[in-house]
Amino acid sequence: MTPLRPPGAVYKLIAENVRSVLRGKEKLVRHAVTALFAEGHLLVEDVPGVGKTTLARCLARSVGGSWNRIQFTPDLLPGDITGVPVYHQREERFEFHPGGVFANIVVADEINRGTPKTQSALLEVMAERTVTVDAVRHEVPRPFLVVATQNPIEMAGTYRLPEAQLDRFLMRLEVGYPDLASEVKVIMGDCAGVGPDELAPVVDIETVRRAIGQVRAVHVEPALCEYAARLAAATREHVALRYGASPRGSIALIRAGQAYAATDGRTFVTVDDVKEIAQAVLAHRLILTADAELNGRDPGDVVDEVLDATPAPVSVGPRA
Amino acid sequence: MNPQWTQRLVAALLLLATGLPGLLFAPVFGMGSLLLPLVTVLLVCFAVVEVCLRVAALRPWRPVLMLVLGLLALGELEFGPGLPDSAMLRGLLDGVTRSWQLTLQSTWPARADAELFLFVPLAVLFAAVLAVELSRLPAVALLPGLAVAGLSQAYVALSGPVATAAGLAYVVVAGTLLAVTRRRESRLVLLLPAVVLAVAVSAGVTALDQGVRPSLALEHAAAPVPPLRVDNPLDEVADRLTRPGEAVFRYTGTAGADRWRIAVLTEFDGVSWRANGDYLRLGATLGTATRHARITVPDGGGPWLPSQPLLATVAGADPLVDPATGTLLLPGRRGPVEYELGWREPAVAPEALLDAGIDASAVSGGVGQVPPGVAELARTATGGLRPSFRAALVLERYLAEHYRQATGPVLPTGSGWAQLSGFLFTTRAGTSEQFATAYVALARLTGIPARVAVGFRAPPGGPGPVTVHNGDSFAWPEVAVAGVGWVPLDPTGGASRGTAAAAGALARVTAQARDALPPSQHLRDPEVPADRDPVTGPSEPDTPWAGTLLGWLGIGVVSAFVLVVVAIPGRRAVRTARRRRRTGPAAVVAAWLEARDVLRAHDIVVSRGATARELAGRLPSTVDSSVAEGLEWLARLVDLTLWSPYGADDRTAAQAWSAVRAIRKGFTEASFRTRLRAAFDLGSLREPGLVTE
Repeated sequence: MTPLRPPGAVYKLIAENVRSVLRGKEKLVRHAVTALFAEGHLLVEDVPGVGKTTLARCLARSVGGSWNRIQFTPDLLPGDITGVPVYHQREERFEFHPGGVFANIVVADEINRGTPKTQSALLEVMAERTVTVDAVRHEVPRPFLVVATQNPIEMAGTYRLPEAQLDRFLMRLEVGYPDLASEVKVIMGDCAGVGPDELAPVVDIETVRRAIGQVRAVHVEPALCEYAARLAAATREHVALRYGASPRGSIALIRAGQAYAATDGRTFVTVDDVKEIAQAVLAHRLILTADAELNGRDPGDVVDEVLDATPAPVSVGPRA
Repeated sequence: MNPQWTQRLVAALLLLATGLPGLLFAPVFGMGSLLLPLVTVLLVCFAVVEVCLRVAALRPWRPVLMLVLGLLALGELEFGPGLPDSAMLRGLLDGVTRSWQLTLQSTWPARADAELFLFVPLAVLFAAVLAVELSRLPAVALLPGLAVAGLSQAYVALSGPVATAAGLAYVVVAGTLLAVTRRRESRLVLLLPAVVLAVAVSAGVTALDQGVRPSLALEHAAAPVPPLRVDNPLDEVADRLTRPGEAVFRYTGTAGADRWRIAVLTEFDGVSWRANGDYLRLGATLGTATRHARITVPDGGGPWLPSQPLLATVAGADPLVDPATGTLLLPGRRGPVEYELGWREPAVAPEALLDAGIDASAVSGGVGQVPPGVAELARTATGGLRPSFRAALVLERYLAEHYRQATGPVLPTGSGWAQLSGFLFTTRAGTSEQFATAYVALARLTGIPARVAVGFRAPPGGPGPVTVHNGDSFAWPEVAVAGVGWVPLDPTGGASRGTAAAAGALARVTAQARDALPPSQHLRDPEVPADRDPVTGPSEPDTPWAGTLLGWLGIGVVSAFVLVVVAIPGRRAVRTARRRRRTGPAAVVAAWLEARDVLRAHDIVVSRGATARELAGRLPSTVDSSVAEGLEWLARLVDLTLWSPYGADDRTAAQAWSAVRAIRKGFTEASFRTRLRAAFDLGSLREPGLVTE
């Protein structure tokens, strides 16, 4: 049996590993590992060439579980993802051939290039971690994590992700351009042949599973849950938003907060944890009004506003 | 600069800044008497500062040392050398408790007596101790000195160039102090507006100052000398006249005194006459003396001292004085008194006097219940003239011609209406007591302000020693004449009999006017000058409304200033104290709220949603790094308290408040302007909308 590692240590191992390829992105990596610890799906969004896929692959390779990569294209079919029943001639019955999603980490590359029909095939598996084909449920291995990447929607030949699907992603991350020094290091690393494929797993899947279990046990004060609910409620009332965060959003805030606290080696969640991940957890769940969209407002700014305007709780409640 | 030298310089400047306001009392006591005690106090304070710099063990005792040594030095200086005894202690105690009041009871400029001025060096000493103890906050340390300045302005509001000079001197000292203690910014930026402000304020004070008396603010607050129970000298006139040979007092001096007054009686209720003077302690001088006399009053007799109306100086005695009448009072006199009296003579032209109107603004008492017939008599006696000096002279002549002086062993006494009716209608004979009181009553009935003076007629003789006897006892009326003042008359007719030759200018001029008075049948009213109403006299100058407005504006500005200076830091101190009283987890939260208010006061934007850790990460670069460290520390404690399952104990609370102290300390490095604004920031009082339930 592998020794029990605290989630903080696990995070350090993974983060160091990923950072050896993906330079200068500490915060991004931490958020990615947060999503892993919270067993929530991750959407990485940015312009091409900044390392979205690299992040997804690095994360997948650092963990010693199974991982699949699905390249989304317009002609990709749902069956390619979920799997299809194939007729077994010798045994004269249909046999289920699992698709790309049957792995611990699924890298769904350029997910918005798939047609809505194909994208929708991910809905069930992302929410329930099962695949139902021909009325037969097939469970995917745990932990199960979809790391999707997508180009900004303005680019041609893409299909916008349906809101229902967006809501299923725990976090959306933007990679951003590296600073100059980091970029130089990236180029040098590329020249030296350091890429995601060279990464070896640093933790086995059992360790990750236990870390996820421990994250679930991270202490959350009731006042903090109330704070999360207030944040979500504030987005629902915001004038610039047509739809605010769903309860799934506020649940996600706390779960991601637990995972984020764990990456810090803490056993309790603070307001700062929630505020740190609020942008990544909430922004993609918000739908701007037409006016706000025309005025060039960004859901991220709205989240910032809400964070600034919602009083940070300072009450000392009764303790159990 | 070496920090020790900086401390010396700061202490020296602070002492100067508290000593300078002490000198603003100079118009009350004179510069000469104040300088030595003030310099002594400041030197002692500085010496203590110096010793404490050298001997670290004494440092905690610095305020006590300063206070004790300063008091000791003052005591030695004012109450003579020697070991401190009970007299010195009592003197110092009186300096704290009574001397300010005695000063208010004195005419100004006050005598340079330790009994009176001691409160000034004492105030400076207390202010200096406070200032030196507060020297870490130079702007606050200047406040005690300013309080002394405020006190001095309550006694005597400086105005004009003196005020400007004093303001500038203070600004230079305070500016240098602030320049020395500030670290980074350009140091002279504040000096220029301060100089402008000093000039503007002194100009404003000058504009507001009505220049009536130096004591602007406390004039009406002056505690009057407690009323005295003394015999009415008017009642003694007849008694004295029956024993004419007894010597009353002796004097040597210049000619010019035809009478010596001991009391002036203004109030008459129909029965008795009473003095109604506001007696003050006689200060250094009441004016310039042109005539002098040395007076010796033997043992016995009442508290009244012979005096002259336009009194200037009294040397050799410390009497109470009523500046309006020039009478002197030495309550509780024991034994003989010898003193040097200085007075001045009014300069009056004879022709101006005869046609002069009466001074309607002069304070004149009542006449009580007037018996029938008296009013008609008064009209007849003045020849039906309008109230004027001429009418007063006519009344004088009427009494002199129609009444005679009583003689014999039993002289009439009393001056109520009962006796006066007898004198006026029946006996037609009386002493100067009846003449004077009847004159005053009749004059008042015709509208001429008059009062009764009691004293002695000056016997002929001099300049050698002249002895005044009981036989010279005399009462006479005085009428208020516009442009001249109170003019003594003599309805007994004695004045025209000859002592006027040796008398002063006013008596001579009065005699000339008397001689120029036309016979009764040719009497007519004097011509009324076009610009003056003879009845009402010159009207009181109206207070310009702009002055009143400015006054109220000034009061408003001062109250606003006090509100800002006292209320904001005070309210904040109370809030902090209440927060400090909490315990356990609530104390940690309170510390965080306090830290947030500190940040807010220093212009750091703290949104409702902000947490300590966030703020630590985004402090402006101008803020000292220790603030961020303190915030980080506090953030850890707050997180532990609020969000961990472990909670907080009192140790955590103590640590949280230490973090707040660290944050405050970090801000002491901030610019002076920032700290000043932080100290008086109204916004810092607002309770932000927090979820505290």
